Amino acid sequence: MNTLNPVFKLLGILIPTFLLAAFHNPILNIIVFVICIILMLLSKVSFKRLFLLMLPILLVAVGMFFTGYHFQVQEGAPVNPDSLDLTNNAIWNGMIFSSRVLAYAGLGFLFVLTTNKMELIRSFQQQLHLPPIFAYGLLAAWNIFPNIMEEYKKTRAAFRARGVNTFAISPALLKPMLVKAVLWSEALAIAMESKGFNSNAKRTEYYVMKTTLKDLIFPVTTTIGLLFIQNLILRHINLIL
Amino acid sequence: MSKIEFKDVTFSYSQSGKNTIVNNMSCSFDSNMLTIVTGKSGCGKSTVLYLAAGIYPQYSGVLHSGTVLIDGKESSTLSPEKRCSIVGMMFQNPDLQFCMDTVENEILFCLGNIGIPREKMKEIINYALNFCDIAHLRNRRLQSLSGGEKQKAMLSCLIALNPQWLLLDEPFANVDEKSAKELVQKIHKLHKKGVGILVVDHRLDYWLQIADEIRLMNRENGIVQTNYIPEDISDKMMIKIENTKNIEKNETILQLNNLTVSRNENTILNKVNFEFERNKIYFIIGESGSGKSTLFGTISGLYKYEGDILLKGKNIKKRKNYKAGMIGFVTQSPQDQFVSNTVLEEIELGLKIRSSNKDVQKEAESILREIDLWKYRNFSPYMLSQGQQRRLGVASLLAYDCEILICDEPTYAQDSDNTVSIMNALINKAKERGMTLIISTHDLKLAKYYAEVIIELKEGKLYEYSKSSI
Repeated sequence: MNTLNPVFKLLGILIPTFLLAAFHNPILNIIVFVICIILMLLSKVSFKRLFLLMLPILLVAVGMFFTGYHFQVQEGAPVNPDSLDLTNNAIWNGMIFSSRVLAYAGLGFLFVLTTNKMELIRSFQQQLHLPPIFAYGLLAAWNIFPNIMEEYKKTRAAFRARGVNTFAISPALLKPMLVKAVLWSEALAIAMESKGFNSNAKRTEYYVMKTTLKDLIFPVTTTIGLLFIQNLILRHINLIL
Repeated sequence: MSKIEFKDVTFSYSQSGKNTIVNNMSCSFDSNMLTIVTGKSGCGKSTVLYLAAGIYPQYSGVLHSGTVLIDGKESSTLSPEKRCSIVGMMFQNPDLQFCMDTVENEILFCLGNIGIPREKMKEIINYALNFCDIAHLRNRRLQSLSGGEKQKAMLSCLIALNPQWLLLDEPFANVDEKSAKELVQKIHKLHKKGVGILVVDHRLDYWLQIADEIRLMNRENGIVQTNYIPEDISDKMMIKIENTKNIEKNETILQLNNLTVSRNENTILNKVNFEFERNKIYFIIGESGSGKSTLFGTISGLYKYEGDILLKGKNIKKRKNYKAGMIGFVTQSPQDQFVSNTVLEEIELGLKIRSSNKDVQKEAESILREIDLWKYRNFSPYMLSQGQQRRLGVASLLAYDCEILICDEPTYAQDSDNTVSIMNALINKAKERGMTLIISTHDLKLAKYYAEVIIELKEGKLYEYSKSSI
């Protein structure tokens, strides 16, 4: 997963994400989730990190399960054949909700944890022809982000030192923060231009994001794979029923 | 030889042309002279540099008349990728000049901007990094670098861009002495290779050895053409060293017990024990990065710590013991402490809290006149120059009645007149009210002159010095 071109990887994950929204199939969701986890572990994502990230997701999934379990459409409600499995029974309904959370979390983490943001932006710029002003502007903003929390704390301490007590999201705090945000963005823009950055000029790139056959195959495989599994499951369910 | 020329330049930050920063100024700089421009804070030194770099009036302000030429070309009309091969600029704040994640990527970004072919990039990067002796930082994240390292990384970007001129705006504002000296040597080496160097700085000590000329700028006459030669200046602009004072023991007001602070897994303060007494003036010295700002940040509640901080014998870990306003802070970057819309309100805020006195306005006026900011009373604090902001920062806390006042580098970027007036104001008020002053500085001369107790912060510990040993 780490070596795939980020844009094609994004496509290969986004298409199944939208398709999943159309299906109400907990078995499919769980299969997707398991595949994502396996792919992540194969891509050397640390197990501990993955586990810690999954904790809140599991909590939400459990919550969603009980939501679906208790608030299913009761018998006697107008039912159409398409949503039959929604009303079938409470457990099934709960499973649909909770497995969906897991599947989406799995897909999301799969992308985030195996993609380098520098490569993603390079790839946006080279494959999707995103204008450099967006690409580098985004990067610059991203890289000063950690300063913002620090700045917030400093601003609060400054108010306290002057005998002004503030609460956590006091509007008084926002003003100096906003002023700083404007000053920072101006300083960054000046620095970028003084290093010769011009969004309209032709530039050269050291890192060329290549597209290989593998990258093209990935989104096709994921889409067809998903539809195939869905079909397979439906056939089995029909057999059982 | 290349030349920067100002011809009859008049520039102001407002459309109306009021408060002109530069008035009918004409002067020129030669690339074979390493020139330092100095002058009072707020006199327009940085503005001149930004004009030369072509950043103004594009980004801010209005050029009412005149032209700024580099080699006969108007720098502000060139496109950025062409301009940067003529003039490169190094800024005051090292945090706000990078847009990539690592040192190498940043240099690659610069080279990409000017369309250097891919196969030549590695070679140029190696040269630039080796020139600045930072080959080991190549893959380090820019955010994890110290102030000095960041400025070296910035210099290596500029070397990669290979401009004819290098303009520096107080490049050592956040850099420790050792790194500053190293940087000065690199800049000197660059100058010998034919790069024109123009520096704006208040502190001349680093530059005296390598400067060819030092020019003084003031608001009325622009840059004075009569040049000083470095030998003439030496101690004239610095503070004389004088007497020592004997002081008796006072009541303890702030006590640190086994204070340990770690940030990003580095232990910055290691079991620090110290007692600060009422009505005394402490100076904390130490290299940048030694933890002075961390110590202050911890006392102000910014960072987590182990051990105890006792304020008048009460532990400040309990929030109710930490009464807002007992400890005042003047922060290293003055912008961090402004809370009001205008300069006047900034001062009045402290006065209003302190007393029900109806003469708040009069007192505010007298304070502002004292620090020479009365004419800017209706400006936003953020619109002042760096040096003016710092003066306002100190003054606004003096207007406030705190028992301990902590100042992080209060005199940085001030000329000697302002340094003296800030220090005198601080010390007079402190003595008048029996305040404890804790001041950090890089400037040993300043510490020796004004301190009652000098403490050095080294390797995570505080050491008290007798003044005569410094």
